[in-house]
Amino acid sequence: MKVKELARLIDARLHLGTCSEDSEIAKVHASDTMSDLIEHAAPATLLLTSLHNSQLVRVAELMDVPGICLVSGVDPQPELLERARETGTAILVSPAGLEETCRRLEDCSGTLEVTRA
Amino acid sequence: MITLSYRIQGGDFDSAGLATRKLKEQLARIGVAAPVMRRAMIASYEAEMNVVIHARTGTLWARLDEEKLDLEVADEGPGIPDVQLALREGWSTASSQARQMGFGAGLGLPNIRRNSDLFDIETRVGRGTRIRSTILLGPRDDGDGPLLQTPGFLSLEPERCRACLRCIFTCPTAALRVHGSRPVLLPELCIGCTACAGECADEVFGIGSANPGSPDAGRADTGRAGLPPVPPDAVLVLPRGFLAGFPVTDSPARVLAALQDAGFADIRLVDEWEQALRREARAFAGSGSGPFPLIPPFCPAVVALVESRFPSLIPHLGRWLSPLEAAGEEFPLRPVFLVAACGAQYSSAGRTSLTDRLTVLTPARLAEAVLPGLARRAAAAPAQSAGPGGEPAPDPRELAATGVRHVMRVLSEAEAGALAGATLLDLSLCDGGCAGSPLLCADPFLALHRWQRAPISAARSDAAAVPRQKPYAQRHGVRLDKDMGEAMRRLARIDELVRSLPGRECGACGAPSCAAFAEDVVMGRADADGCPHRHGHREETE
Repeated sequence: MKVKELARLIDARLHLGTCSEDSEIAKVHASDTMSDLIEHAAPATLLLTSLHNSQLVRVAELMDVPGICLVSGVDPQPELLERARETGTAILVSPAGLEETCRRLEDCSGTLEVTRA
Repeated sequence: MITLSYRIQGGDFDSAGLATRKLKEQLARIGVAAPVMRRAMIASYEAEMNVVIHARTGTLWARLDEEKLDLEVADEGPGIPDVQLALREGWSTASSQARQMGFGAGLGLPNIRRNSDLFDIETRVGRGTRIRSTILLGPRDDGDGPLLQTPGFLSLEPERCRACLRCIFTCPTAALRVHGSRPVLLPELCIGCTACAGECADEVFGIGSANPGSPDAGRADTGRAGLPPVPPDAVLVLPRGFLAGFPVTDSPARVLAALQDAGFADIRLVDEWEQALRREARAFAGSGSGPFPLIPPFCPAVVALVESRFPSLIPHLGRWLSPLEAAGEEFPLRPVFLVAACGAQYSSAGRTSLTDRLTVLTPARLAEAVLPGLARRAAAAPAQSAGPGGEPAPDPRELAATGVRHVMRVLSEAEAGALAGATLLDLSLCDGGCAGSPLLCADPFLALHRWQRAPISAARSDAAAVPRQKPYAQRHGVRLDKDMGEAMRRLARIDELVRSLPGRECGACGAPSCAAFAEDVVMGRADADGCPHRHGHREETE
């Protein structure tokens, strides 16, 4: 699934940076611990988390993750957005909480694998 | 081989992960395969975050060769009081700031271990922590032997050999043969004790020559290259026997001065760590927790000997690092030069670091560097007396022995349960301890005499014994075959052949015993005709 389709599915705001809106997402992993996120981070995996510090982008960069989805409609810190732009990581912001966002993704799409910590 | 290093600032969450990112750029440039890169990034990032979360400052080193990627992250920080607890998932002491950022879930160390082929952690409370992670680039070997076993680093100059056969009978693990007037080493059996060097009149044996393909080949000390540059903050740790080993009056003070001229500002004696280990071991033995007798790892060759020839005594080995290894751990972020007195020290000290922070020198190489200075130098002012040294008088229940034959007998007695009344075995394979290493210049007793006339004080020592994290393990030596069925068939053939041999243990075949010769024949290392006394062959030559 393309990242822009995924954003539409969950009504997420999308900050693309240099990331292409056609980037493919095959899997979503949801977690609120960094160690768990990095262990599951991979190309074509979207990280879904209620964390919102800029270390998320560092992990995404190291692990070639195409995008990070924040939750609860937070306003991403400018620093996080700036780093995401530099590294070409897409930032999505879901209006719903982590659990609800997970459910929507699971409901909406059969092609997407959704895992949780 | 390339080595990279990056500084890590403790508490700086803004630039956290930057060292790992720089490492990634370099590894990507080299073209490291994706699965290796993935594991390296997880291990490196987690280790870097450990420094950021817990420590004041640290360094990430990475070393890459054709076989593996070594990562090492060392910090100056609080250390970890209980490593086993810290390795358990879910255990963490991270600050609330770190926890709010999603760190401190207690998954970091388990994550590093999971992504490493070889994982190791050394830590000292109040000093710091060092984490090592090795990731093999190729598929893992299917053998069940330990990965990346470091060889004993014995080096041979076979053309000097005159086939006197003394070495094959001296070697405590039967690792030597003489075939066609040339010595042959079975590296799997060698424990690096250099007893052979002590017997050899022709200087065939040394340590530290480059061993291609060995994990430490890059740092191998060829003895000809001169000293590498000595950074101003470097520490040199050497055995007392080196200072006292030159045939010069007042040699300890003079050699010390020449070493200072060579650029070493901070020179320490390995004796400091030996004394620290002795204190700790005595306290432990005095606390009454067995098994007795306790065998502290004063001499890494004794440890290797127990692991290979006396495996039933492995539980008796004290769980500390050997003195030279402990010295290597003492200064987490400074360049350290260690002088190894034997092959066992050379390989065990080299193993404490996977990176270039540690340089292990042979006595010969260091001697070459100081000799010119020694000639120029006038005798320095006599050093302060070391005084009584502050060591308590030995407990009569302790048993001290040095020298291969004596140590072998003591261990045999201990194995037979005949030493239950002894609390502690203080053993060194070299005569008189490390000062008796055949690789040091002088006879140990001459060196001791020089030392006692002009000792150098080691009073300011803050050396401490370092707990050992890695378990001791039996060394299996040469396996007869990977397949157990085939191994048993070979064993039967060895048995049969031994019965056909005369049992003179004469060494004429080049092996130290008929049993060793039989094994050589079955394993294809020797020809059955090599025995001049075998039944059905010529009864006597000449």
